[in-house]
Amino acid sequence: METFTPLYDTYYNLYFGPAHCGSGNFGVKLRVRGEKIIDARADPGYLHRGFEKLMEYRVPIQNAVLSDRLCVLEPLSWNLVHAEAVEEIMGIEIPERASYIRVIMAELTRIQSHLIWFAAFSMGTGFDAGFKLAIGYRDYILDIFERITGARVYPAGYICPGGVRRDIPENISRKILDTLDYREEEMIELFHDLLYNPIIIERTRGVGVLKLKDAVRLGATGPVLRACGLKADVRKDDPYEVYGEFDFEIPTGRKGDALSRLKVGVEEMKESVNIVKQALEKMPPGDYIHPNLKRINLWKKMPPGESYARIEAARGEACCYMVSDGHPQPYRVKFRGPSFLHMIPVLEFLLKGTEVADVPAIYWSLNPCPADMDR
Amino acid sequence: MPYVMRKPTESIIETPSGEGDDIMGEKEPLKKLIRAIWVFNWFNSCGFTELLPVVASRWDMERFGMIPVGSPRHADVLIIAGYQTFKSIKRAQRIYEQMPDPKVVLALGSCTMTGGMYWDSYNTVKRLDDYLPVTMYVPGCPPRPEAIFEAVGKLIEMIDPKFLEKKR
Amino acid sequence: MEENELLEKILANFTVDARVQRKRRVWLSVDKDNLLGICNFVKQLGFDHLSAISVTDWLNEGKFELTYHVWSYTHKILLTIKTKIPRDTPLIPSVFPIWGESAQIHEREMHEMFGVKFGGNPDLSPLFLEDWEGPPPFRKDFDTRKYVCEKYYREEDERERVYFLSKM
Repeated sequence: METFTPLYDTYYNLYFGPAHCGSGNFGVKLRVRGEKIIDARADPGYLHRGFEKLMEYRVPIQNAVLSDRLCVLEPLSWNLVHAEAVEEIMGIEIPERASYIRVIMAELTRIQSHLIWFAAFSMGTGFDAGFKLAIGYRDYILDIFERITGARVYPAGYICPGGVRRDIPENISRKILDTLDYREEEMIELFHDLLYNPIIIERTRGVGVLKLKDAVRLGATGPVLRACGLKADVRKDDPYEVYGEFDFEIPTGRKGDALSRLKVGVEEMKESVNIVKQALEKMPPGDYIHPNLKRINLWKKMPPGESYARIEAARGEACCYMVSDGHPQPYRVKFRGPSFLHMIPVLEFLLKGTEVADVPAIYWSLNPCPADMDR
Repeated sequence: MPYVMRKPTESIIETPSGEGDDIMGEKEPLKKLIRAIWVFNWFNSCGFTELLPVVASRWDMERFGMIPVGSPRHADVLIIAGYQTFKSIKRAQRIYEQMPDPKVVLALGSCTMTGGMYWDSYNTVKRLDDYLPVTMYVPGCPPRPEAIFEAVGKLIEMIDPKFLEKKR
Repeated sequence: MEENELLEKILANFTVDARVQRKRRVWLSVDKDNLLGICNFVKQLGFDHLSAISVTDWLNEGKFELTYHVWSYTHKILLTIKTKIPRDTPLIPSVFPIWGESAQIHEREMHEMFGVKFGGNPDLSPLFLEDWEGPPPFRKDFDTRKYVCEKYYREEDERERVYFLSKM
């Protein structure tokens, strides 16, 4: 077979930009020679609102409503981080029933966030059926959220400092168990089978390999780090709420490529279903909010101090550092989003030396959320 | 835009009881649907999560002939699904200029009307009307898929059936 | 290793102000000149995950306070190191040689938002804001509500008049 040898060496810039079927709200500038990528540079900032400055003008109960718009794909997790940071400064303990409700909401958010991950990955790699099925199954969880909090997507600060805003309705545990048994397990089986599809295996095996030393140096956390082989999870290492009382495992991968990350995601969904079932059995009766904070006009002062709250969101480690100096409003709030590290250093590192056609598979396997990168 | 806007004196969607223009509840097939509306793939910010069920299986928009497209030259509707920052409004304006006539801008959410939840942010666009000519606003934070469909239904009605004959 | 053992090891080699807030949280306050020495020492003890770098603007004292939050996967303790630098000439050596690219990207964001210069950081170009002419936005003397009301809203419009009335 005859092949051509090029006369000139051509380098050109390719813009994998914000209005693209294979990427949302985020651009990557690639320097390409033929089909090989020489250099990649991330282009963030399309969604920057200055959250940390906005929160300095509002009291904690208003901040709870604002905090669920930090990352639109998992709003309840960010509610939880903010609430934990405020409670640690105020020095209050929440009742146990509120803690169990928070765990159930956080795990259901993790399941629906992983479904969006699979849907977006399928859309980016051209697998249309996976996209439509995953979003379809996610709607059953949004119906549960609507029964409990009142809205499908933004729960208006349901997890607020002091507990939760209202108690769960009476027969909701029956509905949650029915949904999980009949719909979600069917869906998890479906994704388990889909991952053994030869086309997806060919597109993701050996693509975007990240070794463990590089992962820790670049700041990766969450499923991206666990797929490299390290068993690190904030729910087990630094337990918050009542996670110490549940019996669950941490799935890890071995090779650090895109296929291991997807497999870790499917296994995590199974463990989340397990945790929700245990929590529904063990939930004690009691109060759903700290009695002093039940009436909103009692929230007048935060004592001076500082705190650092960490949780395991669906994408990785999400943290909130809060400083207060005695006024009702916080003095400084800083959020650390998992996608900030995944989309800028890790992506630029992984894209060097690969082909242009592999860019969507690598990009979506890191589970990016541009909203919590820009804040 | 003289060819697109007209007062809907007669509905092109005939319903059996003749009450209103609700395409969701009726099971009559859509008669005289002039052309299918194609949506440009600019899914931005918060309204994105409620646009996904509209595109995918639960509130399927493909049964009305709408699909998301990749090139601005194929598209009829630009959906601005929430707040825009100064960086992204520049790209949206370029996309709008490249779309062929007749074209429509649909603005979702309360952030496009008066600034919304981020009214005191230094980086967001406060009134979308200053930057792009908006045809229809859909309120909500974010608006539900049923509200988006009602807006699309009103849009379909606004299309003048004589447009295609005039161009010949 | 327990938190008190860690405190003893650090206090044996450096003079710092240290306290244990609760289980798994240790806070240190150091001088600007000792910062790199302590960071190297702590990295060798096993603290290799840099969680966040943050800056707090104390306007009354005229200082910026930098905080470095590091976590160790083997000892499972979160250590926070705080220093203060003067506000008029905010210059500090970077920790990029110690913790790699995760430090570099956090410092780039803090340079854009507060104006702190990190010596030795390979790339300090703007990250989020495009064509921003104004002071670094997160400083305490930049009031975003006043900025936004002057630039974008009109007091004559009755829907927007309420924005002019809200004070902190």
